[in-house]
Amino acid sequence: MHEPTVKELPAHGVRAERIEKRLGGNDVLRGVDLIVRTGEILSILGSSGSGKSTLLRCLNLLTVPDSGDIWVHGEKLAIRSESQHGGQAEILDHRQVRRVRASMGMVFQSFNLWPHMTALENVTEGPVLVKGIRRNAAADLGRHYLAKVGLSDKAGAYPRHLSGGQQQRVAIARALAMEPRVLLFDEPTSALDPELVGEVLRVMATLADEGRTMVIVTHELAFAREVSTRAAFMHRGLIEEESPSQKFFSSPVSGRLRSFLASHR
Amino acid sequence: MDITLLLTSTVTLASGIPLTLLLTAASLLAGLVLAVPLAFMRASSRKWLSLPVLAYTYGFRGTPLLVQLFIIYYGLGQIGIIRSSVLWVLLRDPFWCCLLAFSLNSAAYTTEIFRGGIQAVATGLVEAAQAVGMSPLQIKRRIIFPIAFRSVLPSYANEVISLVKATSLASTVTLLEITGLSRKLVSETFAPYEIFIAAGVLYLGLTFLLTGFFHALEGRLNAAPRAKTPLGRVALQQVAHEQ
Amino acid sequence: MDGFMLQFVNGLKTTVLLALVSGALGMALGLLAAAGRLSRWRAVSVMVGFYTTIIRGVPELIIILLIYFGGTVAISAFFGRYVEVNAFLAGVVSLTVVFGAYTAEIFRGAVLSIPTGQIEAARSLGLHPWQAWLLVILPQMLRIALPALANQWISLVKETSLISIVGLTDIMRVAAIGAGSLRAPLTFYLAASALYLALTSLALVIFNLLERRFAVPGR
Repeated sequence: MHEPTVKELPAHGVRAERIEKRLGGNDVLRGVDLIVRTGEILSILGSSGSGKSTLLRCLNLLTVPDSGDIWVHGEKLAIRSESQHGGQAEILDHRQVRRVRASMGMVFQSFNLWPHMTALENVTEGPVLVKGIRRNAAADLGRHYLAKVGLSDKAGAYPRHLSGGQQQRVAIARALAMEPRVLLFDEPTSALDPELVGEVLRVMATLADEGRTMVIVTHELAFAREVSTRAAFMHRGLIEEESPSQKFFSSPVSGRLRSFLASHR
Repeated sequence: MDITLLLTSTVTLASGIPLTLLLTAASLLAGLVLAVPLAFMRASSRKWLSLPVLAYTYGFRGTPLLVQLFIIYYGLGQIGIIRSSVLWVLLRDPFWCCLLAFSLNSAAYTTEIFRGGIQAVATGLVEAAQAVGMSPLQIKRRIIFPIAFRSVLPSYANEVISLVKATSLASTVTLLEITGLSRKLVSETFAPYEIFIAAGVLYLGLTFLLTGFFHALEGRLNAAPRAKTPLGRVALQQVAHEQ
Repeated sequence: MDGFMLQFVNGLKTTVLLALVSGALGMALGLLAAAGRLSRWRAVSVMVGFYTTIIRGVPELIIILLIYFGGTVAISAFFGRYVEVNAFLAGVVSLTVVFGAYTAEIFRGAVLSIPTGQIEAARSLGLHPWQAWLLVILPQMLRIALPALANQWISLVKETSLISIVGLTDIMRVAAIGAGSLRAPLTFYLAASALYLALTSLALVIFNLLERRFAVPGR
């Protein structure tokens, strides 16, 4: 497989090198390398427990890797590795991490909308607090993105009055309102009733058409095949196979990937 | 039972309501201001932050308020440094002693109530806030605390009602709030039934009003038309915080 | 301070005895009241509702003063001369009335949280209603109520200190006497608070053991 080097590091996009993470005594990530170039839509597939969600969470340091390096838009994230001092791995530059997180929108499996805020407030809270945008301007921005996910009429609704699909679309609008350079999706449809999956995938497909940089951890193979430019298959804490989407789905190399694709038809 | 006396003493004792309310409101406010940061410290996973707060809440919740009040009112004067300091101006005044004792006591209970609420906030909600780049303080202020406060509102309402009742101890250090006035009146007339029942009626009125207020607040904060529940539901919940 | 050792021991005994007696009587009253609150007779249920709501909306001190001074007036009227009510007795009565009101609500809540299917199951086994209550409802209800009961017992231990206001020589009163006579209030009240903290801690430990022993699976 092609080994990326620091020289090839794209000035934009995200890059992770030799990421290791132990959780609860398990080696969840065992030295993973990953590159996400600007404009690319990368799907990460794999059976549950393969480490794909943990890898995604490492990219914006919601999970701090035990060791390894992460660059976002050409900037290396300051992390202290576990091995260097014997203690827990930790974030060294919290300002930097907050800045980087603000530039990477994240959509969670369980939506995680703030229950005490309306849909619009959920969307505007980040821009107001983090970017210092005035409430009025943020409200316009928020309405724009709620319209984009087809929820203009739900601006004043509280999360618990929305369906799962609507909640996830608000969560996407919340991520978009920060006008991020990269969007991270952590199994965005896994918690949804089957009949609500479609509306969320349609919104994501629209975003893909706009040429946004996206990393999608998903079980929706058909969708991944349709929208992604590249795909990666994870197995037991490592990327087993990674290739352009066309090749990945039509002529997989690894036996495990072939049986995975076959079993998820 | 002398109904006329009951009515006249109710009117007389009503003049103690402002002091009862002042003691309640001021201790409540001071307790709240203390409890919010303490609750976050108590909820922290860092032992050096949480253990001192635990010692404080354990001590104040494990001993009678009456002892705490007497330690402050009678006891602190025993320490020379305090006697000769400017603080003495306040600490020899029973009102300020009550305020201090009630505030510290209320803060201990409130801290534990809020701690429970803070720890019950789903991690995903905090992660969502981290993911947009909010600072830890912003997350506490805008996400964790509002969610925690809503979830513990019934317990907090109970704490407020306990505090109203606890202010009756101010009568033991000569303050003439409702209970103080009623004890004075009883010693003058020796008609304990009418007077103490009148006092009880006044307290009951206050606790009912507060229950109604918190019930309305709960409905408002949940911002949705809820099914009607009978007034008094908040008070009927058990004092889950006294653990 | 040394001279007060024995008095503190006696005070401690009084406090513990007062708490145990009023706690036991109060729980019995609470059980009765809970049964009344849940009973089919609306009048009984409403009366008990008044009792628990009123008692829990009024300061304990007012109830204590009412029972002590009210009792004195009543008994004096009965005997035709001034008779002061025994402070311990007044303490037991008032704390029982208070404890009963709080535990009644605890027991009621616990009973209501038991699925009705269990009563039906007990019935279908051919148990009499009273057997169903005694064998199925009561043991479960006590287990469910245990954490809330623990809190209430700890409150009760602390509330006993209020009886010192009407002259009972408990821990609190011994401290007050010592504080006055030796002019060392801080020392004596700190000693009293240490004793109370020991008692409430002991109650906490006992209830933790009970909870572990009778843990409700899945709760």
